[in-house]
Amino acid sequence: MGLLTNLKDSVSRVTDRLFASDDPKRIGIYGPPNAGKTTLANRIARDWTGDAIGPESHVPHETRRARRKEGVDIERNGRSVTIDIVDTPGVATKVDYKEFLDHDIEKDDAIRRSREATEGVAEAMHWLREDVDGVIYVLDSTTDPFTQVNTMLIGIIESRDLPVLIFANKIDLDEADIKRVADAFPQHETVPLSALEGDNMDEVYDKIAEYFG
Amino acid sequence: MPHQCTNCGHVFPDGSKEMLSGCPDCGGNKFQFKQGSVDDVTDAADDPSDSQPAADRPADSPDTTSAAPESTGETATGESSSPAADSTSSPDPQTADSPPTTADPGSTGEPTDSSTADASDAELMDSNRTQDGESPAQSTARSDVVSDDELPDAPPSESQSPTPDESRDSSTDPDTPADETASAGLDQLRQELNDQFESIRIVSPGQYELNLMELYDRNEYIISLREDGRYVIEVPDGWGADEPN
Repeated sequence: MGLLTNLKDSVSRVTDRLFASDDPKRIGIYGPPNAGKTTLANRIARDWTGDAIGPESHVPHETRRARRKEGVDIERNGRSVTIDIVDTPGVATKVDYKEFLDHDIEKDDAIRRSREATEGVAEAMHWLREDVDGVIYVLDSTTDPFTQVNTMLIGIIESRDLPVLIFANKIDLDEADIKRVADAFPQHETVPLSALEGDNMDEVYDKIAEYFG
Repeated sequence: MPHQCTNCGHVFPDGSKEMLSGCPDCGGNKFQFKQGSVDDVTDAADDPSDSQPAADRPADSPDTTSAAPESTGETATGESSSPAADSTSSPDPQTADSPPTTADPGSTGEPTDSSTADASDAELMDSNRTQDGESPAQSTARSDVVSDDELPDAPPSESQSPTPDESRDSSTDPDTPADETASAGLDQLRQELNDQFESIRIVSPGQYELNLMELYDRNEYIISLREDGRYVIEVPDGWGADEPN
C-alpha cells in the first residue's frame, strides 16, 4: 500500500506541476555513463524534430558537455506537450583515463577525455541544481542499479521534489533485467525501453507527456 | 550495579527496569547505587537505618534517578552509555553523582552544569515533578523502554516535548547528543563526504575522484580543470554583479 500511496502522491504532484505553468519544462536526461542517455535523447529528438542531439558511442563519457534541444513538441492523445531536452554527461564518482585505453584511444587523448569527462560531471551536477524541471533517469537494465551514484542522484532529485521517470534501457539485450531496476527504485515509475531499437517508445512518450507536459 | 530505594530500602537488582515505574513498595522515586552484590545489599536493606540517612542526602537523588535509563541498557545510545560506565567504575558511587547527571542526554534539559548539580538538583527535580509525582528524568527513562503509544496517559510526551527543541537549539554543539532525524543523517553523510575532499580530487593526471554532493551544493560552476589542481569556475550572477532582472 505504501508503494501505491507513493505513486499516487507522485502522480498528483506531477499533475499539480502540469497546471502550474505553460512554459516548456526543461527535462534533464541523467544517469551513469554508457546507460544510453544520448541514444535516447537522439531518439526523442529525431522522432519529433528530425534532428539529432549528439554523437552516440560505446566509449563511456562520449558526452562530455551537456547538450540541449529546445522546443521538442510531443503529441499524445490529441494534444501537444513541449519540452526542452538536456542530454547530460554520465555521472560517476571516479573517472580514470585507463578506461579509455581499452577503446584504442592513445594515452594523451585518454587523459584529455578523462579531464573533460570530469568537467562534464561537474556540469551535469550544476544543471541538476539550477536548470532542470524534471528528470529522466536512464539506467542500463543489464547492469546492477544498486550503485552509489544512482542512489545519490535519485536522492538529490527526490530532495528537490522533481518529477522523475526511471527508464530501464537496453531491453533488447538478453541480459536485461527490468524487474531489478524497478525493485531498486520502487518509489518511482520505471519504463522499459530500447532507445537503440525504438522498443516501447509509445509508452515512453505517454509517460513523458504525463509527467512533464 | 544494584539500586536501592532511598525511602523504604527496597533493593533492585542490577539492570532491573522495575524501578523505572517507581518503588513498588512505597512509591518512592529516589534511588541510590548500592555497592557489592545483590545479596549484600539485600541484607543491608533489611535494616532501614542504613538507607534512611541516604534519603537525607539530596545529592544522591539526581544521580540515581538519572541513572535509570542507563540501567535499561536497551535503547541507550553510545553517548548515554558512556556515563553509565563512568558511574559503575567509580569506587564510591554515592559520591560519584555529578558526572552521570551532567552527561545524561535524557535528562530532559535540566541544568547540567556539574558545579550546580548538588542540592539544587534535588530541589529542581521536586519542582519539576509531574502531577503523578514522577520526575522528568524518570519520565524520560520510561520513554526509553516503551513507546508513547503504549503509554497514552503517561506524562513523558509532555515532559519530553522541550527536548527536541533543545536539541535543535544546541545543534551547533558537536558534543550534544541530539535526536537523529533523517535529514540530520543526510547532513552527516554529506559532511563526511565533504570532509573527504572538497569537490574534485586529482589523483593523478587523468584520474579523478568526484564528490557529487559538493559539486551539487556549490554555487559556482566548475568549467574546466587544470592539472596543477586549479579550477576555472563560473561565478554566479549574484556575486558582485548586478542581479539579473
